[in-house]
Amino acid sequence: MPSSPLLFFLLFLCFFCTQLSCTETEVQALLAWRSSLKDPGCLTQNWTSNNISTDPCQWRGIKCNETGSIISLSILSCQIDGTLDKFNFSSFPNLTRLEMVGNENLHGGIPKEIGTLHNLQFLDLRFNNLVGEIPVTISNLSNLEDLDLSFNLLTGAIPSAILNMSGLHSLDLGLNNLTGQIPRTIGNMFNLEELSLNGNYINGAIPREIEHLNKLTGLYLYKNELSGQIPLEIGNMTELQIADLSDNKLQGNIPATIAQLPNLSELDLENNQLNGTVPPYLGNNSNLEWIMLSNNDFIGTFPPLLCRSGKLKYLWATKNSFNSLLPITLKNCSSLIELDLSDNNIRADVSQTFGEHPNLSIINLSENRFYGRLPSNWVKNIMILSLQDNRLRGDIPKELANSTSLVILNLSNNNFSSLPLIQAPTLQSLHVSNNKLTGEFPLLQQNWTNLVTLDIGKNNFYGEMPSWIGSSFPVLKILRLGSNMFEGYIPPKLSMLNNLRLLDFSNNNLKGPIPHVLSHMHSMVVKTITNDSYIDLYFNSTVYEESIDFMWKGVEATYQETIALLTGIDLSCNAFSGEIPEDLMKLQGLISLNLSRNQLSGMIPHNIGNLTSLEVLDLSMNLLSGTIPPSILNLTGLDALNLSHNKLTGQIPSGPQLQTFNLSAFSYNDGLCGFPLPNNCLTHNNSIVPLLRNEARHKKLEVIWIICSVILGYVTGFWAYFGALYWKISLRFVVFHFTDKMQDKMMKWCGRYLH
Amino acid sequence: MAPTSLLISLASCLLFLSVSPALASNSEGEALCSFKSRLSDPNNVLQSWDQSLVNPCTWFHVTCDSQNRVIRLDLGNSNITGALGPELGRLQHLQYLELYRNNFMGKIPEELGNLKSLVSMDLYENQLEGEIPKSLSKLKSLRFMRMNNNKLTGSIPRELVTLSNLKVLDFSNNDLCGTIPVDGPFSTFPPESFENNKRLNGPELLGLASYDFGC
Repeated sequence: MPSSPLLFFLLFLCFFCTQLSCTETEVQALLAWRSSLKDPGCLTQNWTSNNISTDPCQWRGIKCNETGSIISLSILSCQIDGTLDKFNFSSFPNLTRLEMVGNENLHGGIPKEIGTLHNLQFLDLRFNNLVGEIPVTISNLSNLEDLDLSFNLLTGAIPSAILNMSGLHSLDLGLNNLTGQIPRTIGNMFNLEELSLNGNYINGAIPREIEHLNKLTGLYLYKNELSGQIPLEIGNMTELQIADLSDNKLQGNIPATIAQLPNLSELDLENNQLNGTVPPYLGNNSNLEWIMLSNNDFIGTFPPLLCRSGKLKYLWATKNSFNSLLPITLKNCSSLIELDLSDNNIRADVSQTFGEHPNLSIINLSENRFYGRLPSNWVKNIMILSLQDNRLRGDIPKELANSTSLVILNLSNNNFSSLPLIQAPTLQSLHVSNNKLTGEFPLLQQNWTNLVTLDIGKNNFYGEMPSWIGSSFPVLKILRLGSNMFEGYIPPKLSMLNNLRLLDFSNNNLKGPIPHVLSHMHSMVVKTITNDSYIDLYFNSTVYEESIDFMWKGVEATYQETIALLTGIDLSCNAFSGEIPEDLMKLQGLISLNLSRNQLSGMIPHNIGNLTSLEVLDLSMNLLSGTIPPSILNLTGLDALNLSHNKLTGQIPSGPQLQTFNLSAFSYNDGLCGFPLPNNCLTHNNSIVPLLRNEARHKKLEVIWIICSVILGYVTGFWAYFGALYWKISLRFVVFHFTDKMQDKMMKWCGRYLH
Repeated sequence: MAPTSLLISLASCLLFLSVSPALASNSEGEALCSFKSRLSDPNNVLQSWDQSLVNPCTWFHVTCDSQNRVIRLDLGNSNITGALGPELGRLQHLQYLELYRNNFMGKIPEELGNLKSLVSMDLYENQLEGEIPKSLSKLKSLRFMRMNNNKLTGSIPRELVTLSNLKVLDFSNNDLCGTIPVDGPFSTFPPESFENNKRLNGPELLGLASYDFGC
């Protein structure tokens, strides 16, 4: 055999190699790379030895095999600053595991030489700042099983050679800047168990070839720009457990084949452009735990077998066009934890649709057409109950009012007719406005340490406002009692509400003075600079967002995103009397002050100009007198002003912001003059030219006087003449004799002319 | 804190501008968002401006009519810096444009001439430069035009004499040149409306001196 000496020689070389020069090459390569780094970070410490020999196998993050060759290299959160350009990959023929994770200053590209690591099984380069394209040479790594390049800045399309590697078990390219489409070669990756391409700019359709990925358990394609339909071949991916296709531009129906997936536990299709009905057999075959369908255009009803496995925990389908919910779907679904069906068109009887749900902690059915009565025990451990904008009626169950878990209770805009006294110590937000509730103030006296919003407006509550209101709500920000039948006085202790921002008592029968101590409400004194989080829920939930209806700028609108910025007082449409307290002008945070339609008298406080945040000022329909204070010109943010229907006098102050308001802001004030009213003020300080309207009234009086005098004259004359004739006989004689003589004379005169 | 919040609100504004096709109908909100994107707002006056809302009518300092069209923009005295963007001209129903006493700079966009419902234009006490656009003569409903205390140059466009509803005009404290028109509403404006323009000459002598004399 002529080759045998050659073979022997090669073997000898190899042996020699593995003993000495290879290990030396490895160390040299490591140190050469380390010295190429701008900042070696933790490597200075990790890659050092105690003794003289440079044996890398003792270094931290490095593992070797029996022959002393490096098989694993690990650099985790090391604060290195540099690139991989000088990393000599070919020096590490035995490397099976390479991970460099969490080095935010590891930049530059992935060198194509990485393809020389023939034995590599595990490659993890996530959470760095690597740029450029994914080198095609990675597809040469035929032993590679796990590839993770996520959380970098990689660009370009994913090379089809990479989405063709049949040996890969897991592939994570998520959270980069990758573009292009998913190549059809992906069908060859039949060993793939997890595929993550989320958070990129990948477009095109999901290829039908994914059906060949029959070991795939996790499919993460969310937050991309995928379009087209979900291929019905998805039904062939029998091992699929989690499918997250959310935040894309997918269209069309959910393929009915998806219902045949036996292992599906999580299906997330939120934020797409999907439509049609959800496949009716969904849930029949699988172990569904999470179903996210929100923000699409789905119609019809929910699959009745959705909870058949008894494992359904999260069902989110807000912002669709579902129109019904069959009782069978959720009635026996005791595993349910969160349910969000808000903003649909669902017409269903809430007492038939639900059964017992001991784990249900968040339920949002708002903005639908649910009707019927609330069952009393269906939501025992509930934390968020959001049912506003439906057609529910009947009593609000006592169990809810006494709940020790309830944080948010929103039942506004329904037809509820009775509310028991509420004693729920964990409550942060209570909305029952616009129902048919009646009775006295519905909250029991206790320390409401958590209540931030109280909205009981637009009902038929009556009675006086309890005096303990001020001392029992330490964190209350919104108090909305408007449009009820409350009477009596504002308790002065109300001023103790140090966090109160929005006060709405409008449209009630309250009377008495506006307490000047309201100026002590500290949260209204300071200007609101930032839009802080409004309610600090101690858990994180995206299912409910607090909102409030507020009458502002002449329109009642719903404020959600800016709720934390609203600072206002609305006492309109009551019977408040007395003066507007000057102290109220300390509330510099106010953006809206509405005291209209009361019986307030006296002058507008001279320092009204202090309210520099004010956008809306409505003092109309009162009995205010005196002049408009010139400081009103300081309100440069004012965009709605109404002082009409008062008894104000004098010249309207002249200034550019005030000139933007027209006649209607000042009319029906008899003594007011100056622009924009048509009458000018005279130069004399005292005399004031009356309004045209006054002159007209005077003219009218004159005419009436004239007519009266004339009639009086006629009556007097008549009775003087005929009265005298009646009473004095001699006068009668004289008069009749005179008239006879005149008659004779006239006859003679006429006779002479006729002949 | 302020720059990050500015960045976040700016980003949210721009994000929805680019990513939401469904909001195409809210062109006035888009216009206002574009307007905001050019500005620096240290007092956070514009923090309520959220493009994700269906219309801008719940935004602070924006007033709408009963059909949700913007009729007032009140940002006077707000410490805002930046350029006036042309997108303001898209607010077709705007009646009151109050931008006075800020740090607006650059030119007055000629697109402001498209605001055919405008009654009041208050741009005074800013750092605006360039010429007064001729297109402002299209603002037939205008009653108040105050641009005093800026750095405006060029001549007063003759076309402005056609604004028959103009009651108050103030161009004082600028760097205008040429002559002061005397026709139409200009016959009613007092000389204080034009004072402190070094190169502006007195009322034009009709038929004798040429226009833009000294420009």
